[in-house]
Amino acid sequence: MQFPAPDLVSSRRLLLITDQLPAPADFLLHRFLHLHLKQSKTAKCIILGVSESLERWKSVASKANTNVTHGESFHFIDLFDQLPPSQHLGEEQTNKISLKCIYDLLSVKLSDSRTNGQIPLVILDDITSLEWLGVSLLDLSRFARALRTLCVKMDAALVVRHHIVTPPEPDVLLQHLLQLCTYHIEVRPLASGRSGAVSGEVCVHLGPGMKDTNEHLISRTSALQYRLTESGAVFFDKGTSTGVL
Amino acid sequence: MSSFKRKTLSGRATLPQGTRLSPFSTSTVITSTGIPSLDDILGGGLPLSCSLAVLAPDHHSAYGELVQKYFVAQGLASGQKVCIIHDEPLRFAREGIWMAGSNPSKPAQATTAEDADDERAGQHEDKIKIAWRYEQMKKFQTTVSNSLNGDFCMAFDLTCRIPTAALDAAQQSAQLIPIDVDISEDGTIGVIEQIEELLSNGTNAHAVRICIPALGSPHWGDMQPSTVLTLLHSLRRLLHRYTNACASLSLAPHMCTDTWGGPGWVQKVGWLTDAAISMSAFGANPSLSSLFPSHHGMVQILTLPAPHTILPASDKYSTLRGLSSAAGAMDGSGENNLAFKCMRKRLIFETLHLDLEGGVTERRTTPSSNAMALDASMVHETMPVTVLSTEGRKDSRATVEIEFERSKDVVSDAHTRAMADVTAADSLVPAKSKKTKKKVAFHSERPDLYDF
Repeated sequence: MQFPAPDLVSSRRLLLITDQLPAPADFLLHRFLHLHLKQSKTAKCIILGVSESLERWKSVASKANTNVTHGESFHFIDLFDQLPPSQHLGEEQTNKISLKCIYDLLSVKLSDSRTNGQIPLVILDDITSLEWLGVSLLDLSRFARALRTLCVKMDAALVVRHHIVTPPEPDVLLQHLLQLCTYHIEVRPLASGRSGAVSGEVCVHLGPGMKDTNEHLISRTSALQYRLTESGAVFFDKGTSTGVL
Repeated sequence: MSSFKRKTLSGRATLPQGTRLSPFSTSTVITSTGIPSLDDILGGGLPLSCSLAVLAPDHHSAYGELVQKYFVAQGLASGQKVCIIHDEPLRFAREGIWMAGSNPSKPAQATTAEDADDERAGQHEDKIKIAWRYEQMKKFQTTVSNSLNGDFCMAFDLTCRIPTAALDAAQQSAQLIPIDVDISEDGTIGVIEQIEELLSNGTNAHAVRICIPALGSPHWGDMQPSTVLTLLHSLRRLLHRYTNACASLSLAPHMCTDTWGGPGWVQKVGWLTDAAISMSAFGANPSLSSLFPSHHGMVQILTLPAPHTILPASDKYSTLRGLSSAAGAMDGSGENNLAFKCMRKRLIFETLHLDLEGGVTERRTTPSSNAMALDASMVHETMPVTVLSTEGRKDSRATVEIEFERSKDVVSDAHTRAMADVTAADSLVPAKSKKTKKKVAFHSERPDLYDF
């Protein structure tokens, strides 16, 4: 089974990936990155990182035999490097400014890549940590909206990762993000806990604001299960795990 | 032009002291936490550039601080730099633990095997008559021992305090670096700045351990959840930058539950650290402690370190968790439940299993023998309560013999037990009462069916 389907990540889309602590979705982000970079030599990818370090992106990519060198096709922007160092605990003023900095930086980078006709991929790893670290909800929802419009303008694909810590109830940020997204990819752990054969399952839902279509959708009842291996993840339908090589 | 670069370990010609390469991924350098079973849970050890959070929500015990003591002792013993961030770091260091036999004031007790496990093991081998086909099988192991040579993980003894000579030497040579948490300064930001200064001044040759034994204790001031999360995040960023350091911190008990930090708090801590475990002790809950008398609490794994790979090393390498079975992908077995136990001389993490007589399908004719083993301080010897049922079908009257409990001396137990009328399954620790042998006869309504 192939996940994601090749045209799931396409221009002007916002893919919202939600995950939970027992089943983190970082493998999906890495997978999107590798697939995108493998598409063509001029493919461009920009990562706005909050929690994962550049080292990890690089080493996972090298294990997957993808060449990730900073500067050519791959940019890593560490959100906290853009903050002035003495103002960690946000006064609202500085947080607003810093998100604006990131927005400007991103727009510069995206307009640079417009020339070669490839769809750039922008991955915002972990918008939830920003909320936990004190950025106000209003700023974050505005930032998400701004990112979305920027990517639509620049024909880029945007992937945003959000952590769910209170599983059944969506928190406010999730509600904001859901309104913006094209597709909502949900990575959930198995209800029975971790297992050797199945690490979790993936479902794809259509964003609430989108036209009704059945393309790419995977419902929760027929979720695609995956197992993490050293070289990424292996996907299979429920109940077919032993048949996977 | 090939875009694949050959991986060379050029940056790490020699590893820092007390560390080794992770067997799972050659780009990860791991170091021991001081507890072999915890190392196993983490997948060999705690990788450098990772932070470990230990949550211990029980107010009446200090298991989190105990894990930190092991962390500090291991760091000092392997010659790594240890930085303790506490309101009184030197006092914490002075109460640290050390290896057995190095303390000259207690030579004799270190040698006698008074550990409950050792005695039980000895009795087990002598007494049990095992069916021939099982003779070759290994004993059932619930935990891992230190199989590597002593360099990686030393064997610490909880009864031995760190000798002042070693402590002074560590201080003099700047191996032990205390950082005071001062409430008057800018609290957590000041701490982060001091850590950053320490890390930037150091060289790559030595691994650095940062230990925060009681994050959130009164001396840190009134901490808000966002402050704690910011601290965790900043610490993690520092560790990503200075990759020869690792950190282990333990949250104050009141901060380890969702009641303090709001819904999803424990998960947030798990997201913002590289490795996180929660040790929930049974102390406050008598029903749990009677259900699992040989353990002191359950361990919940929140996050596992995977600094350079997608798959955490622990998934593949941990024997305790049991996910890495020989059959690989075919085996769909779930993870083992884990618990911890603080014995007289050490703290171990082990797999948690229901007792032999546990389970709901068990037909009980006598009260569970676990219920008799509640009092650990006094040892009671109870003669087994036997339930005999007569052979006759008509008249199945059970005769029950009950004897009174009497206190028994622990030491002389082993010998008298050998002579007493023991059942075949008896190989228990003296502190536990003997398990009763149950006989439940099957009486059928129409026995002639089965009489051939």
